[in-house]
Amino acid sequence: MNFVDKGKLKIFFGYTENIGKTQAMLKAAWIAKERGVDVVVGYIAANVSEQMIEQLSQFEMLDLGKGRIFDIDRALERKPELILIDELAHTNNFNSRHKHRYQEVEELLNNGIDVYTTINVGNIESLRDLVASITGISAWESIPDFVFDNADQVELIDAEPQEIIEHLKEKNTAESRLSFEQLSALREIALRRCADRVKHVFERTQDKKAFHTDEHILACLSSAPSNAKIIRTAARMAKAFNSQFTALFVETSDFVTETKENKQRLRENQRLAQQLDANIETVYGDDVPYQIAEFARLSGITKIVLGRSAVTRKNFLGKQTLTEQLLAYAPEIDIHIIPDRSTDIAYKHKKTKSLRKNEILKNGIISVAIFAGTTLLSILFEHLGFTDSNIIMVYILGVLLTSIVTSHQIYSLVSSVASVVIFNFLFTAPRFSLEAYGTGYPVTFVIMFLTAYITGTFAIRYKAQAGQSAKIAHRTKILFDTNQMLSKLNGKDEIFQATAKQIQKLLNRNIVIYENENGYLKNPYFSLVNENENYFYDFESEGITAKWVMTNNQIAGATTDTHAHVQYLYLAVRINDHVYGVLGIDAKESPLDASEHSIVISILGEAALALENEKNAREKEEAAVLVESEQLRANLLRAISHDLRTPLTSISGNANNLMANGKSFDEKTKQQMYADIYNDSMWLIDLVENLLYATRIEDGRMKLQTSAELLSEIVEESIQRIRPKANNHLLNVSHMDDLLLVKADAKLVVQVVTNIIDNALKYTPSGTSISIITKRVNDLAEIQIADTGNGISDKDKQHIFDKFYCGDNKVADNRRSLGLGLFLCKAIIQAHGGTISVSDNLPHGTIFTFTLPLEEASYYE
Amino acid sequence: MNSFQILVVEDDKPVRNLITTTLKANNYRYITSINGESAIMETASHNPDIILLDLGLPDVDGVEVIKRIRSWSNIPIIVISARNEDSDKIDALDAGADDYLTKPFSVDELLARLRVTQRRLALMQNSNIQESCYENGQLRIDYAKRCVYLAQEELRLTPIEYKLLCLLAKNTGKVLTHKYILTNVWGNSLDSNVGSLRVFMATLRKKLEKNSNSLQYIQTHIGIGYRMMRVE
Repeated sequence: MNFVDKGKLKIFFGYTENIGKTQAMLKAAWIAKERGVDVVVGYIAANVSEQMIEQLSQFEMLDLGKGRIFDIDRALERKPELILIDELAHTNNFNSRHKHRYQEVEELLNNGIDVYTTINVGNIESLRDLVASITGISAWESIPDFVFDNADQVELIDAEPQEIIEHLKEKNTAESRLSFEQLSALREIALRRCADRVKHVFERTQDKKAFHTDEHILACLSSAPSNAKIIRTAARMAKAFNSQFTALFVETSDFVTETKENKQRLRENQRLAQQLDANIETVYGDDVPYQIAEFARLSGITKIVLGRSAVTRKNFLGKQTLTEQLLAYAPEIDIHIIPDRSTDIAYKHKKTKSLRKNEILKNGIISVAIFAGTTLLSILFEHLGFTDSNIIMVYILGVLLTSIVTSHQIYSLVSSVASVVIFNFLFTAPRFSLEAYGTGYPVTFVIMFLTAYITGTFAIRYKAQAGQSAKIAHRTKILFDTNQMLSKLNGKDEIFQATAKQIQKLLNRNIVIYENENGYLKNPYFSLVNENENYFYDFESEGITAKWVMTNNQIAGATTDTHAHVQYLYLAVRINDHVYGVLGIDAKESPLDASEHSIVISILGEAALALENEKNAREKEEAAVLVESEQLRANLLRAISHDLRTPLTSISGNANNLMANGKSFDEKTKQQMYADIYNDSMWLIDLVENLLYATRIEDGRMKLQTSAELLSEIVEESIQRIRPKANNHLLNVSHMDDLLLVKADAKLVVQVVTNIIDNALKYTPSGTSISIITKRVNDLAEIQIADTGNGISDKDKQHIFDKFYCGDNKVADNRRSLGLGLFLCKAIIQAHGGTISVSDNLPHGTIFTFTLPLEEASYYE
Repeated sequence: MNSFQILVVEDDKPVRNLITTTLKANNYRYITSINGESAIMETASHNPDIILLDLGLPDVDGVEVIKRIRSWSNIPIIVISARNEDSDKIDALDAGADDYLTKPFSVDELLARLRVTQRRLALMQNSNIQESCYENGQLRIDYAKRCVYLAQEELRLTPIEYKLLCLLAKNTGKVLTHKYILTNVWGNSLDSNVGSLRVFMATLRKKLEKNSNSLQYIQTHIGIGYRMMRVE
């Protein structure tokens, strides 16, 4: 993400059309232009007056191409300092990146472009109903309140209603028919809204979180069309009280059977509540009033806003209304009832029909089967001479079974009635009639019916609750598992993959996850429901959406208003402003429901946290490595400054002598001096070579460049290098196995062999032999370098591979070594995954043994 | 005076002096340049016989210099690199360099490389036309018959070994990188084939050097590649 200063938003706000908002905007823009600001006109409504056209000609118009539609990409490309965009509440057509213009404006602001725009009072979400009730015209388009409240500047364009009426006389628009009273009312609303905003802005600067009152308002979400009005009213109340605002959805067990349209409407209502700054919560349970009351009690709700339908709707058994139940459950909470004129005459909790049909058939068959069984059993009982009471019990058992296996109360009711009727018909005298002679029978029938019905009802309720708790438990378990799993993982890739897999398991949808690598989306990882399926994913358009989500840190894709045409819904894996990656969920066919959405958000939160931990750990580790290598560098510097002096003194001294007194030396002396200079510089070259490797290892910079290498070639190369020094020793090489291919970084291993032979040459007497043997031991290649010198003491053996360890060896030429050679050997061999060790050679001498991994021997002709 | 003229491209003065002193002492003619641009100019105007090119030049990257010279000339280029990284040398060789030297290098080594290149040049001039026969010491390849003889005795080579040998023979004196050999013999340069290359090269060498008095035809350059040496 690039951090540009956010642009400023200025809204020109009027209470009706044709009040001069656009004109005021142009005027302000003109002033800015005079000041030298780079102004571009992005979009102006088509119906402008001639006077305005003349004004517009003084500005640069954004090239809109053929479409004459505002194109955000062109605006971002042009990147002016200030852009004018009329009609903030405009809704785009389906193909645009954003559904709403205010979203486009938001993106422009995020890119550091200032925006001037216009809006009407009726286009503010929370005032829509109010304005509609005054004017009788309901605005189709609206902006969420926060856009208006968060604008940097709002300029109210005010005019006397009388003036407007005169001005509009000649026009014949809907607005021009408004009366003086209507206009005055609108003006008052607009003025009040501005005042509210000022108060809101002031309070925001005071303290962000503190609410002045202890009020907490709750609105219940439902899929009813009138629900939007309830939400808006509750939001207005919340603002007026300056209180917290929560929107609650109670998911009942039969929610899954709701029609698609109802679910869609519920989502829209949820989004509306979100826009109005509500906290969205979901609880599960069939007893709606109880769940609401319980939630309200636990969250400290003080006011509940309900629609009138909740008050009046009754169910056919004369059950209490929602309001009455709520009052009973939570007597201390205020309940506000909002009239919703356009109530749900046309709206019913429609269930998905096809599903119902199947269900009815299935449940019907099951019920009949159970009844047949019950009746047969009863007939058997009668033959055996059991009393009536046993038969009654059998029927009650039948009803209970029916309730358990079927899904609706109606079955238990029907079977209760049926069992009484059949009992009467078959088992009471007179047989095969619906009459009963026994005086006690009517009572028996009533009690039998009631018992059957009540047990049946309870069974159903219990079953539904069990189903719901199972669902909750399942989700909780997935959340918990995810949490556990993420805390165990190390490495970004693992975290990303585990997150994708968990969410795929949870939602049973195809998932894609991208990693944000320095502003680019990398490594898309797919977790598909059906792994073997040939799945099509449009990388181009999906990728653009995912990228947009990453840069803007917002949700987009299918089922949202931004990039709605793509297949996937994209969410950012983030902590605050830092986006770690982007998750895509296949949501084109069926959108996520609220609880799925919230659980996905929780998992993503966990994932982002895990990623942040991982990043912190990595940084810490890097810092530790840095400290260590810093330490090594200091040690090296100390060692170098001490040990390099000797050869340098010899080189510079000899050269100086030769330059100054070259003529006075005899040839033999000169030759000796040349040889000294040469030998000392060769010593330095060897040292520098080792030092370079050593620092590379310690820096962690050493990347092994392994490839398939022939061990014999490596040994050969080392011998070539060392041969000029080995004038006084005998070198024997034997390869026990032909063509031993090892997986190694040849240059480094050559250095290992060279160092060990070099040591042997240095520390063993002239005339002794050094043998190098390579062989295969199980699935490793082993290299032995044995000398026949004086051996190494056990004490020295322990430390011989330590850094800067030199032992007490008196070297022939009396020069101390740095103690790097063998340390380096060990580091290199370990980096290859091999081992290195030292042991005694019998009867005397030392053997160095190291191993290297073999390369899979597969040759291609 | 040696008839060969050598262009020395080296920005470091002491090293340049060392090289030119060595060349002078061995009767080579030489010209010098201290950066890439002038090296290209000198090559174009003087048409030297061999170029000794330092890779770390102040203006243009050495590999770039090779590429530009190679666009019009096949002058042998010996690369001198202070960097210990093999990848630089491989890049240079792949760009068209013939041989390389790593700093610090000995004077003898420098002279040896120059001689190899000289011989290669002489060979190139003598055999401009595609010959049907290749001879190197006791090694003889009859391209027409697809037969290889070592000391008059026919060698039995597998098709891959034969291809390898021919490739090396045609580039005698030049270091061929693994990548180059793989693309020219196997048709691709996948890492998975490196093992095969090693094995076939080893068997080929065994057959070549079996009874030839430890004469070395093929030189191994660890981490870089192989070279066919001209054997006297």
